[in-house]
Amino acid sequence: MSLDYVKFSPGFEKFMPKEYRDMVEHGPFGKKVSVSQMGSFKEILEEHPMCAGCAMTLFIRLSMISFPNPEDTITVGTAGCGRLAISQAAIPFVYGNYGDQNGVASGLSRGLRLRFGDKPKDVVVMVGDGGMADIGFSATLHSWFRKEKFTTIMLDNEVYGNTGGQESGMTNRGAVLKMAPLGKKFEKMDMVGMAKIAGCAYVATVVPNNPRRVETVIKKAVLIAREVGPAYIQAYTSCNIEYAIPTDKVMEDAKNVEGDRYQFSEYITDDAKQYLAERYGYKEFLPKPAAAVTKA
Amino acid sequence: MYLVADINVDICAQTSCKLCTQFCPEANTILYNDQAGKEKGYKYGAAYVAVDRCKGCAQCVWVCDNMAKHHAITMIMIDQLPKAAITDNVTYGEKSTTALLASPVVG
Repeated sequence: MSLDYVKFSPGFEKFMPKEYRDMVEHGPFGKKVSVSQMGSFKEILEEHPMCAGCAMTLFIRLSMISFPNPEDTITVGTAGCGRLAISQAAIPFVYGNYGDQNGVASGLSRGLRLRFGDKPKDVVVMVGDGGMADIGFSATLHSWFRKEKFTTIMLDNEVYGNTGGQESGMTNRGAVLKMAPLGKKFEKMDMVGMAKIAGCAYVATVVPNNPRRVETVIKKAVLIAREVGPAYIQAYTSCNIEYAIPTDKVMEDAKNVEGDRYQFSEYITDDAKQYLAERYGYKEFLPKPAAAVTKA
Repeated sequence: MYLVADINVDICAQTSCKLCTQFCPEANTILYNDQAGKEKGYKYGAAYVAVDRCKGCAQCVWVCDNMAKHHAITMIMIDQLPKAAITDNVTYGEKSTTALLASPVVG
């Protein structure tokens, strides 16, 4: 949890694998990197066993690059596809038992605040739609109601992709899947609405077909979760296996879904706007100068 | 044999969009060399693929054809590539990377 933990032990440098040496010498730790520099530095995410063309992996890769302080970040996940990639990264990953990831993150976040005081240590929960909206629903909602200060990211592929294609709470009404042959009979859950009611300070929906937007959303969420309150991001990350999307059409599907039901939306409380403007210089949230008084 | 992405340096080096890198789901697979194509007078450098990490999804092909409209990337059988970059031969610099090209097929 500091810049010291990615270092060579003295005398062992020449024995370390190339990937590790690249990470120490050309990784993003202690530097500011952005999406526009991708391809020219060693990324936190390593090789992973996710399927070819997986949009969830793309979103995870973009998120890892967007963390404001990767050396001070811990990710929390649970069962599901996402953890196969999130765990293959050079930042600590905590595997919550199915459903309790937001409970684990609550304790972790509080503990880090006790231990490190004002020095920000970011906790980011990244789990799938099943792990969050179905099995981890109670822990998730309760962490929001308790105003626990960490970021929750839902990787919404609208299906249980890892177990053969069962419907989840986030599956759309009428969707026919391998293990839901009659089609889903209920509406998709409105997690965004629930996040707002539960008191999240920042709520956003994104689709990974706009890398720069993903970057700004993740940065804002993690910064707000440091001091203001819980942040929630819901990302559409299609499952090209269960929804039979050809791998080269994954971004075309993302674009269509963005136009259909996943428009970019962002909700920020006034406290969070003021915090971002004053602490981190976000110009768009600075108070507007009072309009000039016009003579009647 | 299997397909991997191959980037045409002559087309790529005339632009600096880097979109393929930003849309690849694999980390450190499409990398950027800002010296590529300089000997032919191109300004920007070009992207290249570390073929040992490419899973052949062709998302970069769709992005290059439809978003960037450069048509610089094609899918090719790996044994048809005479020389390619692999992760072990990639060297990271300050703002760019370079790769020694070698035959990607062992034996």
